Amino acid sequence: MRAARPDIPALVAGLALLALGSVLLLDALGLIDLGFGLFAPVACAVTGAILLANGLSRRA
Amino acid sequence: MESNDTQTNGPEEQPTEEQQPPPQPQQRRLTRSREDRVIAGVCGGFARYFNIDPVFTRIAAVALAFVGGAGLLLYLAALLLMPSDEGGAVVDTSGQGRNRVLVILGVGALLLVAWPFLLGGGIFLAGVGIPLALLVGAGVLVWWLVSGEGPSGDSRDVARRALLGIGVIILCFIVCVGGAFAAAAGPDWLVPAMVITAGAAVVAGAFLKPIRWLVPPALALALAAGVVSAAGIDLDGGVGQREYRPTSTVDLRDRYELGIGDLIVDLRDTDLPAGDVPLEVDVGLGQAVVLVPRDVCVATSADVGIGNVRMFNRDNGGIDVDFQDTPEAVPDVTRLVLDAEIGVGEVRVEDLEGGFEFHDGRFRGFEDRDFTERDERAVCEGTGERASG
Repeated sequence: MRAARPDIPALVAGLALLALGSVLLLDALGLIDLGFGLFAPVACAVTGAILLANGLSRRA
Repeated sequence: MESNDTQTNGPEEQPTEEQQPPPQPQQRRLTRSREDRVIAGVCGGFARYFNIDPVFTRIAAVALAFVGGAGLLLYLAALLLMPSDEGGAVVDTSGQGRNRVLVILGVGALLLVAWPFLLGGGIFLAGVGIPLALLVGAGVLVWWLVSGEGPSGDSRDVARRALLGIGVIILCFIVCVGGAFAAAAGPDWLVPAMVITAGAAVVAGAFLKPIRWLVPPALALALAAGVVSAAGIDLDGGVGQREYRPTSTVDLRDRYELGIGDLIVDLRDTDLPAGDVPLEVDVGLGQAVVLVPRDVCVATSADVGIGNVRMFNRDNGGIDVDFQDTPEAVPDVTRLVLDAEIGVGEVRVEDLEGGFEFHDGRFRGFEDRDFTERDERAVCEGTGERASG
């Protein structure tokens, strides 16, 4: 029996949120020092990945 | 030489289907639509010309109508000048001479009559019409991103999607503010745990039933918490303006903290001993002002998320500002060792003399005066002589 094909944009968005949440948690635990120099590129990458996955899936 | 012209080999030879030249694209004409019209088909005509949904041209026309009636004026001009599908325009612009002069005079007269409305009411109403149109557009776009339902279909569908999109925007705004507050005032792990949970739910939903609507609020929550964390904003110290004037080292605390507001630590009348005197100030959002006697050497280590460090007459501002200025002092000189943590705002060290008022981030009474030049090295060596500004 074949598993259902996942919804790619939702999968990418969920993984991106997991990554962003993990970065915030590492900062809260004091394992990394989150400044704007680190947070700004991470936030842009996460937002960009979500938009990209959304746009590409719509195109397909 | 090659030619695109059809070659004729004789009257008996008819061109086959392959030999016929490709049909020339018909030149598009901007005409009022007879079939898709609410009033006179102007918006329908524009939509057909630009190949977009007529809802957008109608929204634009309504929004422009709020800009001092510009939309009504433009609609009227288009009604007069654009020909209909069925025939000519209300005013014939194809002719020469008298007709053209009449059209120019008519449009000029319209502008003359309308300009007070365009300038007067428009300035006030533009504050409503344009933001409203932008909000509707943003709603449609957000719902498109969230659900995949694009801006097509009839006007009722588009209006429904715009409303749903605006709902998502409002939800994101509320979540953003709440997330920022929770990150600044609540336990450090709370918001990251919420973001991770939302991410896990979205991943699980990708395999079962997609819950894309959860993505924008979760992203807004994460971004707000990230900005608060990166800036180091913490509301533990309270909100407001706090002034401290210790008279001796017994009254002087090691640490002064404030969540949001202005924190002033005035040490000018404090009896400070020779040697190092440590002082920590921590402000989440706002300004920390430390006033020192003129003969006190100051060693500063400041960390500012977004904002500025002002040490006497020196400024250092930007994002993630790490300011270090730690001169050594001779033994019989007091050295204030300042450790400042500011989330968003400014830390300021001054050696002003006399009374002052401090409101809204500004020193009242000193605004028109240059602040004094200070030779920090000379002060730390106990030979400081400063020229008054």
